[in-house]
Amino acid sequence: MEHSHHKGKSYMDNSNSTMPPSHHHPTTSASHSHGGGDGNMKMMPMTFYFGFKNVELLFSGLVINTAGEMAGAFVAVFLLAMFYEGLKIAREGLLRKSQVSIRYNSMPVPGPNGTILMETHKTVGQQMLSFPHLLQTVLHIIQVVISYFLMLIFMTYNGYLCIAVAAGAGTGYFLFSWKKAVVVDITEHCH
Amino acid sequence: MAMHFIFSDKVMLLFDFWSVHSPAGMALSVLVVLLLAVLYEGIKVGKAKLLYHTLVNLHRPASQELILAREQDSVDTDSLSVSRMTFRWFLCHFGQSLVHVIQVVIGYFIMLAVMSYNAWIFLGVVLGSAVGYYLVYPLLGKV
Repeated sequence: MEHSHHKGKSYMDNSNSTMPPSHHHPTTSASHSHGGGDGNMKMMPMTFYFGFKNVELLFSGLVINTAGEMAGAFVAVFLLAMFYEGLKIAREGLLRKSQVSIRYNSMPVPGPNGTILMETHKTVGQQMLSFPHLLQTVLHIIQVVISYFLMLIFMTYNGYLCIAVAAGAGTGYFLFSWKKAVVVDITEHCH
Repeated sequence: MAMHFIFSDKVMLLFDFWSVHSPAGMALSVLVVLLLAVLYEGIKVGKAKLLYHTLVNLHRPASQELILAREQDSVDTDSLSVSRMTFRWFLCHFGQSLVHVIQVVIGYFIMLAVMSYNAWIFLGVVLGSAVGYYLVYPLLGKV
């Protein structure tokens, strides 16, 4: 316990002095602070940095301390970003294949010279309780969760991990999008 | 880190050297972030048009060139034109992937800028997205 307190205190001394010490957790906390639950004495970085010491990644307990662990995390984040791009393309393909019901709506529209034209609208859709739609919903949940994980990883402001996200997205797009049919996805916000 | 929006002149954005302490600096930063958001919307439409041009120019003429080459009865030009077409398509697709990486990175930068919880920056991002969308999306319909 003293060892963990000592480690925490030395990190605070080396930390970035530009951050105001507004949420300064006391290093001499209660005797049952076991390092697992409340041992989080880091201040969140707000600018990009390159480093691999004491980098907390997404989950408590998942801390990177060595260059080897950072390399492993780089590969894992790279593969996650690639998988995300692949999942996007796979969902598009599944949606195209499963659209079976086509409805035609015709309505009379006044045309030039007083004639009446028939305007026909074609709509394609899925049934709500069908298996393809349920599969799309499950894949959508997975896609949303992974996109938020990628956002949180980028939010660590660690330069290596951010490069891994960008490179994985680019490689995934390159490998999976060669068959892309939908030209623009206006629902993409973060990326 | 404060977890609510503040109207403030002091913010540190993205990089160590980008620290703002004055109204003039804040106005400049808001302008930069606004232009970044406009660029992001522009890249989205640019990528779509790139893909459209790739599909139109590099897939149909490929078959036409093949038919022409076969009529002239020379095997060498046949394979050469196919490999040239494939190489051009590969180059186009590689270019699109680079544009995609830039789009991802700019998207995340804008997210991190909003995460500074500075209200002026947030308004800059929103206004930039609106201006970008307004300027660029009509170009989607036109070829």
